[in-house]
Amino acid sequence: MTQYLDKAPIAGRRSRKPARPAAVKVVEVLIVGAGFAGLGSAIQLRRAGINDIAIVERGTEVGGTWRDNQYPGAACDIPSNLYSFSFAQNPGWTRGYSGSREILAYIKGLARDHDLLPLIRFQHNVEALHFDGGEGVWTVTLTGREPIKARSVVMAQGPLSNAGFPSIRGIETFQGKKIHSARWDHAYDFSGKRVAVIGTGASAVQIIPELVKVADKVKVFQRTPGWVLPRLDFQSPEWVMALFAKLPVSQTAVREAMYWIHESMALGMIWNTPMTRALEILGTRFREAQVKDAWLRRQLTPDFRIGCKRVLMTNDYYPALQKANCELISWPIANISEKGIRSVEGLEHQVDCIVFATGFEVSKNGTPFPVHGLGGRDLNAEWSGGAQAYKSVQVSGYPNLYFTFGPNSGPGHNSALVYMESQIDYIVRSIGKLAAGKLKYVDVRADAQKAYNVDIQKRLAKTNWNSGCKSWYLSADGFNSTMFPGFATQFARQMAEFRERDYRLV
Amino acid sequence: MQLDTVKMLAKIKNTQWALADIDWEAPGAELVTGDPELYAKLKVFMADLMWIEHVGARAFAAMARKAPDDTLAEIYRYFHAEEQRHANVEMALMKRWGMLEGDADNPILPEPNINLRLVIDWLDTYSDEMPLEVLGSVIPSLEIALDGALCKFLLDTVKDPVCHAAFEKINEDEARHLGIGFHVLEVMGHGKLHQLLVKAAGNLLNPKLIIGIAAYLPLLNRMRDNLVKLGLKEERLYEAMNKYKRIGGRTEQGRRNPWFQIISHQSAMVVDRKSLYHVPVDALVRLTDYYPRRWLKATPTWVKGLTWKTAA
Ligand SMILES: Cc1cc2nc3c(=O)[nH]c(=O)nc-3n(C[C@H](O)[C@H](O)[C@H](O)COP(=O)(O)OP(=O)(O)OC[C@H]3O[C@@H](n4cnc5c(N)ncnc54)[C@H](O)[C@@H]3O)c2cc1C
Ligand SMILES: [Fe+2]
Ligand SMILES: [Fe+2]
Repeated sequence: MTQYLDKAPIAGRRSRKPARPAAVKVVEVLIVGAGFAGLGSAIQLRRAGINDIAIVERGTEVGGTWRDNQYPGAACDIPSNLYSFSFAQNPGWTRGYSGSREILAYIKGLARDHDLLPLIRFQHNVEALHFDGGEGVWTVTLTGREPIKARSVVMAQGPLSNAGFPSIRGIETFQGKKIHSARWDHAYDFSGKRVAVIGTGASAVQIIPELVKVADKVKVFQRTPGWVLPRLDFQSPEWVMALFAKLPVSQTAVREAMYWIHESMALGMIWNTPMTRALEILGTRFREAQVKDAWLRRQLTPDFRIGCKRVLMTNDYYPALQKANCELISWPIANISEKGIRSVEGLEHQVDCIVFATGFEVSKNGTPFPVHGLGGRDLNAEWSGGAQAYKSVQVSGYPNLYFTFGPNSGPGHNSALVYMESQIDYIVRSIGKLAAGKLKYVDVRADAQKAYNVDIQKRLAKTNWNSGCKSWYLSADGFNSTMFPGFATQFARQMAEFRERDYRLV
Repeated sequence: MQLDTVKMLAKIKNTQWALADIDWEAPGAELVTGDPELYAKLKVFMADLMWIEHVGARAFAAMARKAPDDTLAEIYRYFHAEEQRHANVEMALMKRWGMLEGDADNPILPEPNINLRLVIDWLDTYSDEMPLEVLGSVIPSLEIALDGALCKFLLDTVKDPVCHAAFEKINEDEARHLGIGFHVLEVMGHGKLHQLLVKAAGNLLNPKLIIGIAAYLPLLNRMRDNLVKLGLKEERLYEAMNKYKRIGGRTEQGRRNPWFQIISHQSAMVVDRKSLYHVPVDALVRLTDYYPRRWLKATPTWVKGLTWKTAA
């Protein structure tokens, strides 16, 4: 895979300030990444009275996912009232499901309103983390800059932040334009162009309806069709915005209602229950209503249980596929050539541009950069058979290190931010313990971590994700280290409890 | 012989080719077009061949849904597309030889005969519901007839080098189709014999399958008649069917697959002119000529996906 870092500074181009003498200053908390998780952590740490924080961000702006995913049609698929922090509600959402720009504006607002910008060091790309057990200090190695030392580190670098072109045969020979959904090129004019879209996942179903409006021809290359459910999007009436602004409790009530609606979806999406069948019937009816041609409908029929992969929420994907200038191609791709895509039925589909909506490199079996804990132990190696953590946030042998979106914390049915908030609260608590107790470090006990994972894997075995479809939730050998097998409420309850006996306090 | 399907899939992915790999303008077309007798014969033959490949393609699409594991499902997805490619190549050859009706840049697809239409109808309606045992046993017999008899006949008769170049590629694909076909035939012979028999008997009583058989048998007979008219030696078909019996029956498991037994008996009868089998089936062939066209479903859209073009 060709992986590229977002505007990573070139090695050697150091900051103009004279390098600080090493080992002088140890930051209390260093946060990697200035997306939702990084900024949310900083806000809550400060509320808890922890102020010595540094955020390192490889990009030049805050926003993470929503800074990167600016493709046409980009939007959240969880209602905005729920896809935002409970401690920073936004009465001004203009839509039920806001677009990428609006979400980015909200995140920028968070950084501004909470005065976080002074904490952020942009164009700081983390290359590695090393823990010194004697001192109880992490050394954060950066590309082309002096390292930073920190007592605690929060890894909030995002689960879906590394985008790359997939390794399709011949991809390097293509003479036309290549665009990845997470690195949109706004300067490229699609009007009158012949475009191929590879992938039919969450991003693709948002991009395709937009491209069909402007491009001359859109060819959609599909490997596996997913379940599609209708999305109840609407424009927020003025009076609702006014009400939310005047009476925040009304927005909290709506948020609560949405939370419980999504929680109830877990019943059908996570486990195989009568509700699963009901959702599948809904999906099937929706497809029958929206897709007229029997063969096209067959091509779009998923052959796995609903919930096994991310459900696609969209009303305009199926209609877009049936527009005269759009074509669904379900033949496998043989290779990419100079002029386009050759599929196995023997045809060369010649295009001006290929849009890769092929997802992200998710590190299921490793860390995005080397992490060395007590005694130099290597997290990458330890995770080679599948990532494991304690309650998703900590790993035994790596004291004072925290993860947002760590192993088994992914939601399939509810807002990622709901999960994130309970992780952040937990992290703040643990870091608070460290500060209050004047401790060198807190480290999870190996046996506690083991017991936790035995339980998680037992519960995962009964879920739809592990029911036999391939998805980015699973590693190549089918190990699920991505998803949390339960309700968001259960996750929150698990995170609300801090069991001191599960720790070694040094 | 157990076949490593993972390795096979890798090999399939590594050996893909496209219509653009063939030089359709290379000299040699006159070897066909300059021989009016051959030309007329071939025109019918090629259209039938193209349709058979296309029908085979649809069967693979159904099998992909039924495959017991992801690897086999992916292999069938490829075979589905490869059969489409073969049909496309055959259409391109017809285009090269001026056998397609309509204007040169926008030729029209030849009409499938009524027996093909009935099989297409059936595949479109029921094939997705058929158990893998049925299609998985029929397909190798069809493929071996195609490979062993039809394609050899074609290459013996036609001297155009472009046709030979194209079929060299097609035959490489077909060798893999047969490899997988016989592998699956054997795998399906695992299990207790009486259970296999009960299951097969149950399937045979399925009215949907009976309709399918009623559509399929006359197609075979019509094809055989057409081929013989064209000068194909009946021994060729006979040899091909023997090959199915020999390879399919080389292991205990293969022989235990009741569908293998049914199909090898049935194909033995197809190639034996004197068999009583032909009395009802030939009657069906004649009957289908009177089958009211308005009883046919509208042509499904997958049928319209064929093209002679190298690029789109
Ligand atoms: C198109 C798309 C739509 C989505 N829609 C939804 C939705 O509707 N609902 C939902 O719940 N979830 C959704 N998600 C999931 C989404 O990723 C999370 O909800 C959330 O935005 C993740 O925030 P984060 O802060 O953890 O990570 P990110 O937003 O990815 O932020 C991580 C930051 O870390 C930086 N970084 C990464 N590596 C390094 C490094 N080595 N050094 C320094 N900095 C680094 C990155 O530049 C980035 O700014 C969506 C994801 C995508 C891609
Ligand atoms: Fe073929
Ligand atoms: Fe074949």
